[in-house]
Amino acid sequence: MRRAISGVIYGLSAAIGVLTFAYPFLLQADRAAQERIAPLATAALVGLSLVALLMELQGQAISAKTVAMLGVLVAVTSVLRFLDVAFPLPGGFSPIFAPIILVGYVFGARFGFLMGAFTLLASALITGGVGPWLPYQMFTAGWVGMTAGWLARLQPLTSNLQSWKLEVGGWRVGLLAGFGFAWGLLYGAILNLYFWPLAVGMGGQGWEAGLGLRETLVRYAAFYVATSLGWDLAGAVGNAALILLLGAPTMRALTRFQRRFHFQML
Amino acid sequence: MDVRVWLLWALTVLVAASSARNPLYGLLLLLAATVVGVACAPANGRRPFLAPLRFAAVAVPFSALFNGLTAHLGEHVLFRLPAWLPLLGGPLTLEGLAYGATSGLALAAIFGGFAALNRVTPVHELVRLAPRAFHEAGVVLSIALTFVPQTARSLTRIRQAQAVRGHRWRGLRDGLPILVPLLVSGLERSMGLAEAMVARGYGSVADRPQPLRLRALLALGLLALLGGWLAWLFWPSGNGIALGAMTLGGGLIGTVLWLAGRAVPRTSYRLRRWTVRDTVGVLGCALTLAVVLLPLPGRGTLVYSPYPRLTPPGFDPLVGLGLLGLALPALWGEAQGDEG
Repeated sequence: MRRAISGVIYGLSAAIGVLTFAYPFLLQADRAAQERIAPLATAALVGLSLVALLMELQGQAISAKTVAMLGVLVAVTSVLRFLDVAFPLPGGFSPIFAPIILVGYVFGARFGFLMGAFTLLASALITGGVGPWLPYQMFTAGWVGMTAGWLARLQPLTSNLQSWKLEVGGWRVGLLAGFGFAWGLLYGAILNLYFWPLAVGMGGQGWEAGLGLRETLVRYAAFYVATSLGWDLAGAVGNAALILLLGAPTMRALTRFQRRFHFQML
Repeated sequence: MDVRVWLLWALTVLVAASSARNPLYGLLLLLAATVVGVACAPANGRRPFLAPLRFAAVAVPFSALFNGLTAHLGEHVLFRLPAWLPLLGGPLTLEGLAYGATSGLALAAIFGGFAALNRVTPVHELVRLAPRAFHEAGVVLSIALTFVPQTARSLTRIRQAQAVRGHRWRGLRDGLPILVPLLVSGLERSMGLAEAMVARGYGSVADRPQPLRLRALLALGLLALLGGWLAWLFWPSGNGIALGAMTLGGGLIGTVLWLAGRAVPRTSYRLRRWTVRDTVGVLGCALTLAVVLLPLPGRGTLVYSPYPRLTPPGFDPLVGLGLLGLALPALWGEAQGDEG
C-alpha cells in the first residue's frame, strides 16, 4: 500500500511538473484571462508539487547516514557552483550537473532528486541566487538526478550487483557522458519555458496563446536557437567532458562509500 | 526588518516590475531596489555576484538588440537586413529596440529586488523560515551550509598540497587530483558526522516513516491540483471549477504540511519582536501593490507599448510616489537593517 501511494505521488508530481512547464504549448485560444494569471498559477503549481515531492521523499524514514552524506555532497557541489560564479566558465557550463548525475546514478533516483534540488537551493543561498526562478531550477535539477537513477536501473545487471557497480569504466561512462550532454541542452530548454511567454517581444519567436502545438513548437525552436542553443551547447559539452574525464574515479569513490555507509549502530 | 517582510518586499518588486511596462516606472523600481540593497546591507553581508546596475547595463542593451533584430515591427525603420537571413532578415526598427529595452529594464528591476533580498537577509534566517514539516530537509540544508566553508578550506589545502607536488591546472583533466580527494575527504567527514548523529539519538526519531493517511492526503491534494490544471487548460467554460480544484489541492497539501509539522517540536531561544520598522515596511509594500493592482486614477500609465509608433511614455506622480513605497526600508540604513 505504501509503495502504491508513493508511486502515485511520484507520478502525479511528475505529471504536474511536465504539464506546468509545457503550458505554453497547450493553452487554447481566446483565453486572455488565463494568459494573465498563467505565470502566477505555474509558479504556485511548481512550488506545491515540489513541496509534495520533498515531503514524500523525506517522509520515507531518512536515516542519519543519508542526511549526513547528502548534506556533505550538496556542500561539495555547492562549492563548485561558487567557483563557477566567481570565475565564470564558458557559456552555460556549470560543474554542478556532473556530480548530480553521478550521485543519482550510484545512489538511485530518490537520492538523486534530493541531491539535485538541494544543491540548487544551497548554492543559491550561498551565491545570492534566490529568486522566482529557484523552484523551477530545483525541480529541473531534481529531475536530472532522478533520471540518472533510472538510467542505472535500465541497464542489464550482472549477477553480482556490487561487482557491476565497480565496473564503472568504459561504455557506462560514455553513456553517462551522453546523458550529461543531453541534459545540458534539456535543462536550458525546460527552464526557458517558464519565462518565454513573458520575456519576448512580438517577433516570430514570441509566444501567443492558441497558435496550435506545431506553430508554438516552431516558434519556441526559433527562440531557443536564437537565444540559448550556443549557451547550452557549452554546458552540454562541459558536462560530457567532465563525466568522461572524472566520471570513473568519482563513481568508484562514491560506490566505495555507498558500501561503507551500510553500517548499523547496535 | 523581519525576514518575512523582506520576502514580501521582494515579491512586491516582482509584481510591480511585471505589471509596470512603462520604462520610467521600471527605472524607478530599479533605482529603489538598488538603493535599498546598498543602504540596508549589513557590513558583513553577502555581496551579490553582479550588482543590479551592472546587470541592467548588460540586460537592457542585449534585450533591445535581440528584440530589434528579431521583431520587425514599427514605423521608424533604422536599416534593413537581407531577407534571406533566417530570423534576422527584415527591418530593424526604433520601436523594436525600445520594446526590447523596456523588457530588459523590467528584468533588471526584478533582478535588483532579489539581489537586495539576498544581500540584506542572513542565510540562517531564510533557512529558519522552512516549515517544521521539513525538519529532515532543514537538517540536510544546515549540514550543507555548515560544510561549505570547510569544503572551501579543504579545496585550498588540497590545491596547495598538489601544487607542492608539481601539479599545475592546465585543463579539465588536471581537476582529477583535486576533485577526487575533495570528494573523498568530504565523504569521510560525513561518515563521522553520521556516527555522531546516531550516537546522539538522531535515528530514533528521524527513522520514522510518515503516517499512511498523511501520504494519502498528499496524493489527493496532488490529484486535485492536476485535475484543476487540466480543466484550466482544456475546459474554457469550467474556469471556476478549475480554480476551485487547484485551491482545494493547495489547501490539502498545506494541511499535510501543518499536520506533519505538529509532530516536530521547535524551540526558539530568542524570539524576534515585531517592530515599527516592520509595520512601515509592510505599509510601503501595500502602497506599491495598491497603485499597481487597484483601479486607481493614473493606473493606465503603467502600461506602455512603443508599437506601432514610438511615443514618450506617460508618468503619473501619484503612481510614482506609490512605487517609491518600496524605497521606505532605505530610510533606516545599515545599522537598523542589520538589527534583529
